[in-house]
Amino acid sequence: MEKTLEISNLEVSARDGKKSFAILRGINLCAEPNQAVALVGESGSGKTMTAMSVMRLLPRNLAVDRGRILLRGEDILAMSESQMRHIRGKVASMIFQEPSSYLNPLFTVGSQVMEAVKNGEERFEKTMKMFEDVELERNVYFQYPHQLSGGMQQRVMIAMAMINNPALLIADEPTTALDVTTANGIVLLLRKMMDKYGLSVLFITHDMSLAASFAEKIGVMYAGRLVEFSDAAGIFKSPLHPYTEKLIDCLPERYAPGSRIRTVEGSVPDFRQLPGGCPFHLRCPYKITLCTQRKPGPTLIGTTTVRCFKYGDDGQDS
Amino acid sequence: MKTFLLRLREANKISFFSLWLLIFLYAMAFLADFIAPYPYDLQNRDYALCPPTVPRMISGGRISRPFVYGIKIINPAFKQYAPDTLATHDIEFFRKGPERKILGLFRSSTYLFGAGSGKIFLFGTDLHGRDVFSRILHGARVSLSIGVIGVSISFVLGLLVGGISGYFGGRTDTILMRLVEIIMMFPFFYLMLALRAAFPPNLSSVQVYLLIVVILSLIGWASLARIIRGMVLSIKEEEYVLAARSLGLSSYRIITRHILPSTLSYTTTALTLSVPGYILGESALSLLGLGIQEPHASWGNMLSVTIGNLRILTGAPWMLIPGFFIFLTVISFNFLGDGIRKVADPRNW
Amino acid sequence: MKKYILKRLLQFIPLLLGMTFISFMIIQMAPGDYFTQLSMNPEISPLTIESMRRDFGLDKPAVIQYLYWLKNLARLNLGQSFSYHVPVSFLIGQKLRNTLSLSIFSIFLTWAAAIPLGIFSAVKDGRWQDRTLSLLAYIGISIPSFLTAMLLVFFAARTGAFPVGGTISVFNISATGWEKFADYMKHLLLPGLALALSGIGSLFRLMKNNFLEALGSPYITTARAKGLGEARIYFRHALRNAVNPMITIFGYTLSSVLSGAALVEIVTNWPGMGRLILDAVLSQDLYLVMASLLIGGALLILGNLAADIMIAAADPRVRLR
Repeated sequence: MEKTLEISNLEVSARDGKKSFAILRGINLCAEPNQAVALVGESGSGKTMTAMSVMRLLPRNLAVDRGRILLRGEDILAMSESQMRHIRGKVASMIFQEPSSYLNPLFTVGSQVMEAVKNGEERFEKTMKMFEDVELERNVYFQYPHQLSGGMQQRVMIAMAMINNPALLIADEPTTALDVTTANGIVLLLRKMMDKYGLSVLFITHDMSLAASFAEKIGVMYAGRLVEFSDAAGIFKSPLHPYTEKLIDCLPERYAPGSRIRTVEGSVPDFRQLPGGCPFHLRCPYKITLCTQRKPGPTLIGTTTVRCFKYGDDGQDS
Repeated sequence: MKTFLLRLREANKISFFSLWLLIFLYAMAFLADFIAPYPYDLQNRDYALCPPTVPRMISGGRISRPFVYGIKIINPAFKQYAPDTLATHDIEFFRKGPERKILGLFRSSTYLFGAGSGKIFLFGTDLHGRDVFSRILHGARVSLSIGVIGVSISFVLGLLVGGISGYFGGRTDTILMRLVEIIMMFPFFYLMLALRAAFPPNLSSVQVYLLIVVILSLIGWASLARIIRGMVLSIKEEEYVLAARSLGLSSYRIITRHILPSTLSYTTTALTLSVPGYILGESALSLLGLGIQEPHASWGNMLSVTIGNLRILTGAPWMLIPGFFIFLTVISFNFLGDGIRKVADPRNW
Repeated sequence: MKKYILKRLLQFIPLLLGMTFISFMIIQMAPGDYFTQLSMNPEISPLTIESMRRDFGLDKPAVIQYLYWLKNLARLNLGQSFSYHVPVSFLIGQKLRNTLSLSIFSIFLTWAAAIPLGIFSAVKDGRWQDRTLSLLAYIGISIPSFLTAMLLVFFAARTGAFPVGGTISVFNISATGWEKFADYMKHLLLPGLALALSGIGSLFRLMKNNFLEALGSPYITTARAKGLGEARIYFRHALRNAVNPMITIFGYTLSSVLSGAALVEIVTNWPGMGRLILDAVLSQDLYLVMASLLIGGALLILGNLAADIMIAAADPRVRLR
């Protein structure tokens, strides 16, 4: 069956004046229909930029250098801007971290949902049905964003994203700005949408356990690279990449009661001054000389792709 | 200071250029007595509304030392003049002329330039045959100084009121800010005229000058006070002020030592950008005959002859040159203020 | 909404009282005993003086005079003009119409030019079109409106492109209503243009910055992610958000519009409040000065109120507060 999303060898760079910096390098991932794929990593690791590449909504100073992004088999990087308009909202749509600022404050939420529907169709009825799907009351249609709670705003965003029945929904940290119970509701709603519409979800989060509970596949990102792409079930049992290992090790539920909080020492390096070799070598406990000299290429172990010299050195990488 | 200038040059070339232009204009005003070829009130009755004299450097197809042609009076009743190509007068520099006081301090008979036995009116003459160029130089003293002095006084008032209002808050703040609001609710021009009406119309030039400064400051302090209050409010909550207070420092000390210095960069911008308002205020009052009185010159009152007098306006457009100087000064201050804003903003470092 | 407007109205009352008080105090600052001065002026009839003394308590202390004046204000009696020998309100009524039409016309011109230019410049941000417009805006901001007016008068007198001075042409007496209106508008063009040219610059810069800011907002990303077209993104989502802050500052810009209008009126000989207040100041016609000042202030208050109502209509966050 055709994959909903397939990203291969994606490379994105930022330009600052005459200088150019690598933002994303060698991203390879895919999502089957009705599958949830999570992207996990610290802030600044390139998760959102990966998502924005799929929507072709990268900030002005960022551009795709190389690679392919296929949505239901169609290469969107080759499309014109007007063709993209028929992709956005219709094949792939997106929801964001802070729904309050992503909704236009001057219009009723209903009109903002409805405006995504083409003229001529039964726009209002369709919108109302969608409101029901995301479990919002009908009268919310006439309310303004600032009158709604964060959870309701996010439901409106989901309604807006789902109204044209897309194949892929990108959810960029949709629950981070919400409190725990509201967040659970949103996650359940996303699952319900997947079941009902056969939707695929690209779920971006920094929360490893949320990712594992929601998604079938997990990609771990570090400094603009996908260091591990694996089944959600397997990744907790046997994480391959040292960074994944550290991330899982840091989860609070893994601690013995009363033990100290663990963190990954050091911080994500700045995009402007990435170290040579494997970008993780500064924080890696298994570092060997090779790590400082060359970047590891992807290695396939079972169904997991990992970029680390621990598992050999199959692919060459610049 | 030096690093500031360097940063200004880097951030905004046009602001840097404006700074030099302003320095040049102020220097011209300062040295007006020396540079001006004629006293501001010297009337050349035979040469009323004479067009600008053009300095020339080419005579008979060859480059010569700078000279001007003499002025031929064609029709004195209709103020028609033509260059007298037969009479050439060399432009002399540092030449001797009638003795006059420079800066009101010392006597001198040396002039920067002049045209031998001929006349040189670089910007033409006015209705009384007075040299517009000389009057612009003298008028610059009024127009340029009033902005700076007015802003300084307003600034002191604004700092006082805004500082007190922001720091003490509560009822003091409410009352003071209401007052500010009321003053800002009047159209500037109406308030200015009404304040002028409260004083006798016939005053000496020095009195009028002081009066204009007072009037403009009485209006201008309000907006500055509001800006400063906002700054104080935002800074008041900053940690170092809390720290100072917890150390038991007095209010006065906290205001002068901690709050005011940190508002400095912002206020410098606000001050620079408010200078034009004062210059325009003076021009407007003098333009309407309520400011600097004849025979004294200010850029505003030099323009007043053109109001409602189409014959002068169309026949002697050089009478609008003072307006060009007002524009030049105002745009320079605006560019400079914007440049300072860019340089002073820490986000741009 | 109604409650909001009522609240704003009530908030303006202390402002108005403060304004009248300050106006009155300014007049009281005028030197000399002004009642005796009046009595000695042979041009003013004893009858006028007597009625003024009665109505305005001219021989009483200043604070009592103020209360008298307030009482008269409530009856719309603004006092007598000393130089014209008619009620001040009569004089102002005539001139106010012209000042209002000049101000409104120039505000209309300003907005009609500044908003599209601001959008254009924001879309072309950093390119030569934007830089040219920004430089022109700088010049517009820095050129005083009276100078613009003088230059336009100069231009008009040289070319005869527009009539200069007055509100009507001489032949106008037998003209039809429509012709009269067209003639009035033709006379309004020059002062209106002079006043607008000075305002366009600052409004343009504001509009450009607001539009740029709106274009960078998250909800624009949402609109793009929905697959909306550029036109809809610009003119529905960005434009509305960019214009709203401009409505808020509308009240503030009114002050400079009225001040500018007064000067432009005098320079272009447009018979409005500017000429009136100037003549009043020159002839020390104090009640006329004070009434003009008050009317100017009242216009600003009304303008601010109008802006408040407009912003409440345009922004649901304000409306429901």
